[in-house]
Amino acid sequence: MQTKTIKTILLNEWRLLAADRTLRIVLPLFIVLFAYALANGMAWVRFQEHTVQVVREGNVQRTEGLERELAAIKNGAEPSSPFRDPRNANVMGGRRGARSVALDPGPLTALAVGQSDLLPYYYDVSIYTNETTFLQNGEVENPLNLMVGRFDLAFVAIYLLPLLVLAMGFNVLSGEREQGTLALTLSQPVSARRFVTAKLAFRAMLVLAAAIGVSLIGILISGGFGSSGPLGRILLWCAALTVYALFWFALTAWVNSLGRSSSWNATVLVGAWLVLVVVLPAAINIAAGLLHPLPSRVEMITAQREASNDAVNRRSELLARYLEDHPELTGGDATDEPSRAALAWAATDAVNQRLEEVSERHRSGRDEQNELIRRYRFLSPALLVQEMLIDAAGTGDSRFARFQSQVRAYAGQWQSFFVPAILAGEQMSADVLPTLPAFNFVDESLGDVGQRATVPLSALIILVGLVGAGAWVGLGKVRGAG
Amino acid sequence: MESGQESRIENTSEVQTVDESETLADSAGAAVAPVLEARSLSKRYDEVDAVVGLDLRVGPSEIYCLLGPNGAGKTTTIHLFLGFLEPSSGSAHVMGLDVAEEPLKSKTHLAYVPEQVMLYRNLSGLENLAYFAALGGKESLPTDRLTEILGEAGLQADAVHSRVSAYSKGMRQKVGIAIAIAKEAGALLLDEPTSGLDPEASNEFSELLEQLKDRGVAVLMATHDLFRAKETGTRVGIMRHGRLVAEMTTDEIGHADLERIYLEHMHD
Amino acid sequence: MISHIVRKEFMDVVRDGRFRWCAALVGALLLVSLGTGWVQARNAQKELAAAQATARDHWESQGEKNPHSAAHYGVYAFKPRLALSFVDEGVDSYTGTSVFLEAHRQNDFLLRPAQDATPAQRIGALTAAQVLQHLVPLLIILLTFGALAGERERGTLRQLLATGVGRLELAMGKALGASAALALLLVPAAVVGAAAIVVGSPGPATSPLVRGAVLAGIYLAYFATFIGLSLAVSARAPSARTALVVLLAIWVVNGLVAPRVAVDLSKWLYPTPSAIEFAHTLEQEMANGVEGVDRPDRAVVTQNLLAQYGVERTEDLPINAIGVFLQESEVFGDQIFDRNYGALWDTFKRQGYVHEALAVTAPLLAVRTLSMGLAGTDVEQHRHFAAAAEQYRRDLVERLNGELTENSRTGEVYLASADLWSQMPPFRYDAPEVSWVLKNRALSLLMLGLWLAGAFVVVTYAVRRAEVA
Repeated sequence: MQTKTIKTILLNEWRLLAADRTLRIVLPLFIVLFAYALANGMAWVRFQEHTVQVVREGNVQRTEGLERELAAIKNGAEPSSPFRDPRNANVMGGRRGARSVALDPGPLTALAVGQSDLLPYYYDVSIYTNETTFLQNGEVENPLNLMVGRFDLAFVAIYLLPLLVLAMGFNVLSGEREQGTLALTLSQPVSARRFVTAKLAFRAMLVLAAAIGVSLIGILISGGFGSSGPLGRILLWCAALTVYALFWFALTAWVNSLGRSSSWNATVLVGAWLVLVVVLPAAINIAAGLLHPLPSRVEMITAQREASNDAVNRRSELLARYLEDHPELTGGDATDEPSRAALAWAATDAVNQRLEEVSERHRSGRDEQNELIRRYRFLSPALLVQEMLIDAAGTGDSRFARFQSQVRAYAGQWQSFFVPAILAGEQMSADVLPTLPAFNFVDESLGDVGQRATVPLSALIILVGLVGAGAWVGLGKVRGAG
Repeated sequence: MESGQESRIENTSEVQTVDESETLADSAGAAVAPVLEARSLSKRYDEVDAVVGLDLRVGPSEIYCLLGPNGAGKTTTIHLFLGFLEPSSGSAHVMGLDVAEEPLKSKTHLAYVPEQVMLYRNLSGLENLAYFAALGGKESLPTDRLTEILGEAGLQADAVHSRVSAYSKGMRQKVGIAIAIAKEAGALLLDEPTSGLDPEASNEFSELLEQLKDRGVAVLMATHDLFRAKETGTRVGIMRHGRLVAEMTTDEIGHADLERIYLEHMHD
Repeated sequence: MISHIVRKEFMDVVRDGRFRWCAALVGALLLVSLGTGWVQARNAQKELAAAQATARDHWESQGEKNPHSAAHYGVYAFKPRLALSFVDEGVDSYTGTSVFLEAHRQNDFLLRPAQDATPAQRIGALTAAQVLQHLVPLLIILLTFGALAGERERGTLRQLLATGVGRLELAMGKALGASAALALLLVPAAVVGAAAIVVGSPGPATSPLVRGAVLAGIYLAYFATFIGLSLAVSARAPSARTALVVLLAIWVVNGLVAPRVAVDLSKWLYPTPSAIEFAHTLEQEMANGVEGVDRPDRAVVTQNLLAQYGVERTEDLPINAIGVFLQESEVFGDQIFDRNYGALWDTFKRQGYVHEALAVTAPLLAVRTLSMGLAGTDVEQHRHFAAAAEQYRRDLVERLNGELTENSRTGEVYLASADLWSQMPPFRYDAPEVSWVLKNRALSLLMLGLWLAGAFVVVTYAVRRAEVA
C-alpha cells in the first residue's frame, strides 16, 4: 500500500513536471551548465597533464646533456666552461643537474579545479632548494581569472545546485495548497509527510541523477575509473554531492511544513541560501583574519636578506664574492677551489636554516587561523561540502601540502647525496647519474582521504538529520489544506 | 447544553427537537451501524467556537444535508470528519474508526468533493482521475472504466482528454465527483457541491446523488440551498453558531415549512 | 503627487520586517567589511612600507663593493596598498606583493597572499565592493519585485491608477521610495568610507577623495540600473512570484554565472602560455637572441671600443670595457623581457577586455572593472606598478654599470666606496591619475552607461504597457 502510494505520486510528479514549462527549461539548462563545467575542468586537466609531461621530459634532456658532456670529457674534451663543469658536485647537484619533480593532476581534477590553478605543481630540486623555492608562483595566470575562479562542477554544485533544489521544491506543499489540489489529496489515505517526501524524493532523483550522471561521464571520459584509488574518491564525491543536495531538500521540506505561502517560502529559502553559502563563509573568514592574522610572507624576504648578508659577512672576502658573481669576467683561469665551494655551502646552509625558522613560524600562524576556520565551518554546509569535494578531487590543500613535504624530504636526500662530495671536492662521473636519488610521489591512500572526510561528512549528515527531523515534525502537523 | 438563545428549540409537531433527535437517528439507522458519526464533537479556534457538542449519525443510503449560514460550522464539521482538523473535544468516527486515531485508515472509507474542486491544470481530467483514484487505493482501474466513471459523473466524452486548465467550474466539479465514485467509499462528504453550478448541472448532480444513495453510500452534504436539500436529502440539520439547532426528515415537511423553520432559527 | 507616492513607498518598505532584516544584515556586512578592510589594508601597508625601508637600508649598507656586484645584490620592491584598496581588494591577493630587482633579470612578482590562504577563504572573501556588487542588488530585488506585480495581484493598482496618477509617475515614485530606503544603509557606509579615506589613506594614491566620489557615482548608476530592471520586470510579470523568480535568475547570471564564463571565454580567446613554456621561450631567447635582437658579442664590443678610442689593447682604454659590455647585455635582455613579458601582459589585457565586453550580459562585470580600477587594485594598475619597478631596475643597473665603466679600467678589480649606494635614488612609486584609470576603462564606462540607459528605456516601456488587472 505504502510503496504503491509513493509510486503513484512519483508517476504523477513525472507527468506534472513533464507538463511544466519552467522545469522543462530549468533542468536541461542545468544539465548544460554541468556539461559546460565538466568540459572546462577537462580542458584544465589536459593542460596540466601536458605541462607535467614537458617538465618530466626536461629531466631526461638534462641528464642526457650531462651524460654526453661527461663522456666527452672522459675522452679528453674540455668542459664547456669551468663553472659549468659537470664533474663538480655543486654543478651536477646544482642548477645544471636539477631534477624537476611534478605532481600529477588530482584524480578528479576535471570535476573540481580547487587550488590547482593557484598552487605550484612542479618544482626544480637541487642543492639550492630551500624554503624560498616554495614561495614560487604556480601556473602563469591572469590574476583577474584567479580571483573570479573557475566554472567547474564543484562551483556548480556548491552555488547553483542549491538554487536548483530551491527552485524545484520551494512550493512543493504550498503550491498544492494554493492551487487547491491539496484538499483532494489529503482526503485520500495519504499523509502530508508521505506526500511531500515522495514529491521531493522524485525531484531529488532528477537533480542527483543529473549531477552524478554528469560527474560519472566526466570521470569516464577522463579515464579515471582505471585504478582502485579513484573509485573511493568517486564514491566520496558522489556522497558529498548527495548529502549536500539532501540538505537543501530537507530545508525545503522544513520551510514548506511551516504552512506559509509560496512567495514567503521562496524569500526565506533564498535568504537561507545567501546566509549559508555567502554570508557565513565570509563572516568566518573575516573573524579568522581579525583574530588570527596570517603572519606576512614579507618577513621571509627580509629574513632571507639578513641571513645571507650575515653569512656573507662572515666570509668577508669581497674578491671571492666578486668572482662568485662573475668569475668569467676576470678572464683568468679560475680553477675549482674546494674550499670556496665548501665556504659557499656553509653560507647557503646558514641561510636555509634561518629561512626554515621563519617558514615554520609562518606555518604555525597559518595553522592557527585554519584551526579557527575549521572549527566554525560546521556553520556552513557550503564550506563543508567544498572541503570534501576538492579533497575528493585531489585538488585541495592537503594533497599539495603532502607533495610539498615530500619534495622537501627529497631535497634533503639530494643535498645529503651531494654535500659530502662538495665538501670533499670529489669529482663526479657519468656513473653517478643512475644512482642519484629519485623522486617518487607517494599519493594519499584512500584511507587518508576517507579519514579527513569523516568529520565534515558526518557533520553534514547530522545537519541533514536535524533539518529533516524539523521537517518531519512540521509535516506531521499538516492535516488539512487550510 | 449551555443556556442561551441558540439552544432554545421550537417544539412543533413537524420538527424533532435536538433532544429527541437521538431516537430519530436511531430509528433511521437502527438496523445498521452509522457510517458517519460525531460524538459531542467540538472545535474551538482561539476565541471562536466553530462546532459545539455536535452529535450526528449518518447511516448507509442516507443523504444528510447540513444547512446554515456562512460560518455556522458546516465546513468545519466536514473537515473534522476528514481529519483536516483536530477536534478540541469529542470525536468523529467513520465506519466506527476514530478519525483522530486512525486518520489514514478512516480516509479509505471517505470520498470528498470540496466546494471548489481544484485539479492539476496541466493534466487531463482522465489523468487527474487516475491519479486521485490511485491515491485512494484504486491503483489498477483500466482507462475504459475511468472514462466510464467520468461519463457517469456527467463529463462530456470529448473533454476527457483535454487539459483541466480549459475546464469550467462545473466540469471540474464533475471530475471531483468522478473521483468520489471511483473510490467506491462508504461515505461521501460534500461541501457546497452545487454552488456556482447552473440549474441543469445541479439537477444532474442530484440524480447522481440518488444513484449513490441507492448503492448504500452515506452522504453528508453542507449546503445553502434549502430547495435542493429538501429535494435530495433524506434528512436535514440546521446549524447556527456551531450548534445543530434543528433536525428533521425531509419526508415529513414541505418546502415552505423548511424555509420557515430555517428563517425562524436565523432570526431569534 | 509624486512625493506622496515616494513617502508611502518609503514607509511601506521601512515598516516591512523582511526589509529591516535584510537591510540590517547587508548594512552590517558593509560596515564590517569596510572596517576590517581598512584595518587590514593599513596593517599591510605599514608592513610593506617597513619592508621597503629595510630593503633600502640593506642596499645602502653594502659597504665597499664592485658596482656590478651591488647590481647582483639588488633591491626588493614592495607593492604599496593604495588608498582605496580597503573598499575593493581587487586582484591584490592574486598578484605578488614583492619583486626582486637585480642585474640581468626581470623577475616575477612573488608572495601572492591567496597562495597562503585556504580554499575556504577563496569562496568566502567578502569585501565592501562585493557587498555592493552582489548583496545590494539582491536587496533591491527584494524591495521592488512586488512593486507593481504585487499591487496588481492585490487589485490596488487599479485603484491607484483610478485616482489619476500617471503610470510613469507611479513608477518614479516607487523607484525613489526604494532609493530612499536604500539610502538608509548606503549613506552611513559612504560617510564611513569617506571618513576612512580622510583619516588615513593606507597608501599613496592621487586624489583619493576624487576616486572615492567617482566610485560612489559608479555604484549609484549600478543600483539605479537594478532598480529600473526590477521595476520593469515587476511591471510585466504575470505575478509577483514570477517577477521574483525572473529577477533572481538575472541576479544569478549577473553575479555567479557571467563572471566565471568570462574567465573561460577570455582564456579560450586569448590563451595564456604555461609557466614552463614561458620560461623556456625566455631562456631560449636570452641565450640565442631573436631576429633583429642579437645577443651582444663581447669580442665585437671590445673591438668597437678599441676602434672608437683608437687604441690597441683593452688595458689602454680609458674606460672599463666590461662595464660597456654588461650594459649592452642589459639592453639586449631588456628587449627580450619586453617582448615576452609585454606579450604576457597584453594577453592579460585582452583577457580583461573580454571580461569588460561580457558586461553586455551582466552589468556587474562593468562595475567590478571600474571599482577595481578606481581602487587601484586591478591588473592594469598592477602592471603600472610592475612597469615602474622594472624601469627603476633598469635605471639602477645602468647607473651601476656606468659607475663601473667610468671609474675603472678593463681587467682591474674595482671597489666603489661605501657611500655610493645612498647616492642612488630610492624607489618611489606614483599611482596613476584618475583620468588614466577612466581612459583605460572606457569600455566599462560605456557598458554601464548602456545598462543605465537601457534600464531607463525598458522600465518606461514596461510601465506604459503594464497590464492593470
